[in-house]
Amino acid sequence: MRELFPMKQVNGYIFSLLLTVIALSVYFFDMSYAMGLTILVVTAFIQAGVQLVVFMHAGESKDKNAIYVNTIYGVVIAVLTVLGSLLAMIWGYY
Amino acid sequence: MKQDSNLPLEYSTETNEMNILGFWIFLGAEIMLFATLFTTYFVYVDRGVGSGPAGSEIFEITPVLIETILLLTSSFTIGLAVHAMRINRVKAMIGFMIVTLLLGAAFISVEVYEFIHYYHVGATLQTSGFTAILLTTLGTHGAHVTLGLFWGIMIIIQICRNGLNARTANKSFIFSLYWHFLDVMWIFIFSFIYLKGMM
Repeated sequence: MRELFPMKQVNGYIFSLLLTVIALSVYFFDMSYAMGLTILVVTAFIQAGVQLVVFMHAGESKDKNAIYVNTIYGVVIAVLTVLGSLLAMIWGYY
Repeated sequence: MKQDSNLPLEYSTETNEMNILGFWIFLGAEIMLFATLFTTYFVYVDRGVGSGPAGSEIFEITPVLIETILLLTSSFTIGLAVHAMRINRVKAMIGFMIVTLLLGAAFISVEVYEFIHYYHVGATLQTSGFTAILLTTLGTHGAHVTLGLFWGIMIIIQICRNGLNARTANKSFIFSLYWHFLDVMWIFIFSFIYLKGMM
């Protein structure tokens, strides 16, 4: 039975629950908008990293460079799309 | 097809390796799909409310939290399924996959409840720019999970019929990548749509 629950994945699961609890603090405690958003950005991206490395086995195969480059490229384009659009349509007008 | 016995079964042939790499590239494209949805959401979230309700008026923490825990746990169990597959425990693997799909179905049920709630408080696809992109983003994610449920069932049937071989192991691994990806997208929805909206 034990061999079905590898420590690495159990720890990854506990860690991801912990990150969820930390993210929840922005709901339960009063804090500034900047502080809350910082907590959310940090926990969300760490959470994504945990999934990628622990559960999706991203760094284990010999094509790991291609996998990382592809994923990072996707994330960079995603962040540029979001921030660029906000800059052009929202922030630029205040 | 030559098999390399040093590698896990799902990587053991060249076709398998290419399939997995190809699926990662597909996931890269999925990241960009969700990026466009998030972009539109962030643009509309404060300025597109109009006379309709704002996020803080319609979001409820309880169903959102239940959905998050269900999906996080299902991501854990599909990870255990892949681990069981690698140590050749087919029954345990199928068990974990069934648990994963049940958790996924529970997630969809709570999401349907949530959508009914939005309808009752007057937040529909036609209410405002904000509700339109909110429901489109959540709906796109929910549609992915629903598709994943059927996909998972098909894979369980194939493993039961053909056993674990290079092909079925490869398909199962790719399915696990898809499922983890949906969990990652949910984390971003949970953080930047719900929690940010209720902050």
